Amino acid sequence: MIPFHERDAVLEFKAAGRTHGTGDRVARALGPIDLRIDESEFVAIMGPSGSGKSTLLNLAGGLDKPTDGSVSLGGRPLDNINAHDLATLRRTYIGFVFQDLNLLPGLTALENVTLPLELSGASSSRCRPEAEVALQGVGMADKAHRFPENLSGGEQQRVAIARAVVGPRQLLLADEPTGALDTVTGERIMRLLRKQCESGRTVVLVTHDSSHAAWADRVVFLRDGRIVDETRSPGTVVT
Amino acid sequence: MSIRNSLLAILSEEPTHGYGLKNRFENSTAGTWPLNVGQVYSTLQRLERDGLVEPLSPGRGSEDKDRQSWRLTDPGRGALARWFAEPILDDPPQRDELTLKVLLAVAAEHVDVLDILQAQRATTMERLQQYTQRKRIADPDDELSWVLLLDAFILRAKAEIQWLDLCEERLRHHNTRPS
Repeated sequence: MIPFHERDAVLEFKAAGRTHGTGDRVARALGPIDLRIDESEFVAIMGPSGSGKSTLLNLAGGLDKPTDGSVSLGGRPLDNINAHDLATLRRTYIGFVFQDLNLLPGLTALENVTLPLELSGASSSRCRPEAEVALQGVGMADKAHRFPENLSGGEQQRVAIARAVVGPRQLLLADEPTGALDTVTGERIMRLLRKQCESGRTVVLVTHDSSHAAWADRVVFLRDGRIVDETRSPGTVVT
Repeated sequence: MSIRNSLLAILSEEPTHGYGLKNRFENSTAGTWPLNVGQVYSTLQRLERDGLVEPLSPGRGSEDKDRQSWRLTDPGRGALARWFAEPILDDPPQRDELTLKVLLAVAAEHVDVLDILQAQRATTMERLQQYTQRKRIADPDDELSWVLLLDAFILRAKAEIQWLDLCEERLRHHNTRPS
């Protein structure tokens, strides 16, 4: 759970940007932006469609590479990392939660949560207790053996969060995780994300819903690929 | 009107004196709308004039025997029942400074409306973060009124931000259409 070097940001964009196309037909999707996110922070990214939210999240998760500047995870720049190390880093350092299609339908809740640990090469005797703890952390221990089709939308998202944080992972990237959920269930998901920060993880949430973004310590506003504003919860320490 | 009806609602639970009404009102709204005790007494006088409340004889119906307590009359009960039964109709909607400001900014020259929208969005977002922080530590079982009140503030702030977003989208569309 500790970043590679104590003082390194969990996630850092340094003059990082992403363009598409070449020559006269260059379209800028993001940046260049500077953004540092530390341990235990909960940061929400807001902005209209096309403002660069998804590009930012893809760069943060190592799913895409910046065309200028650099993106670092735990002090390690992603631009000069080889494919194997990047895959390992993504599997051990980052968890993803999306709006839907989070769980594999043929596996139970517990098996879904165990899967990333097994892919990391952990023994199954070690995986299972860890997965059970993660499910307990999201209040789903009693439904561990159910298949996704027998869980409500909110329950599936709770399992998805357990899967995203199981093991030593430090950074949770969430893209509209409350999309189709009702208000009370959505609020429960936000409480769970906050709980992750309280236990030392870092959460980056992309959302268009200001009432969900308001659960974050910091809200970063994007417009046309640039950071145009940032707000903080009262009492949040400025670093 | 809302204070008048609120006092009737509190008195329908049990007879209370003016200071008790002030406290009950503030407790049920978690201190969000402080009430001047003078306002309570002047409202009680008007309610008495209209026959909706009446003074109790001294020493009855109150834990504090030196204070004058009040109770609902039958017409007071009727007025309260009508208030609860009738939906509140905000027509025409109350004048709202933000809406006016944006409309006038759109019409004015040399004003960057997008900047105005973003400044307001950030300010409202900070308020939303404050409400949400309070909700985080509130217990919906023990503090139901407080949580409901926060929900109301949160959803209004959210609606305001949504409206600002929509203004921005429409303005961009408007500014890029061929003239």
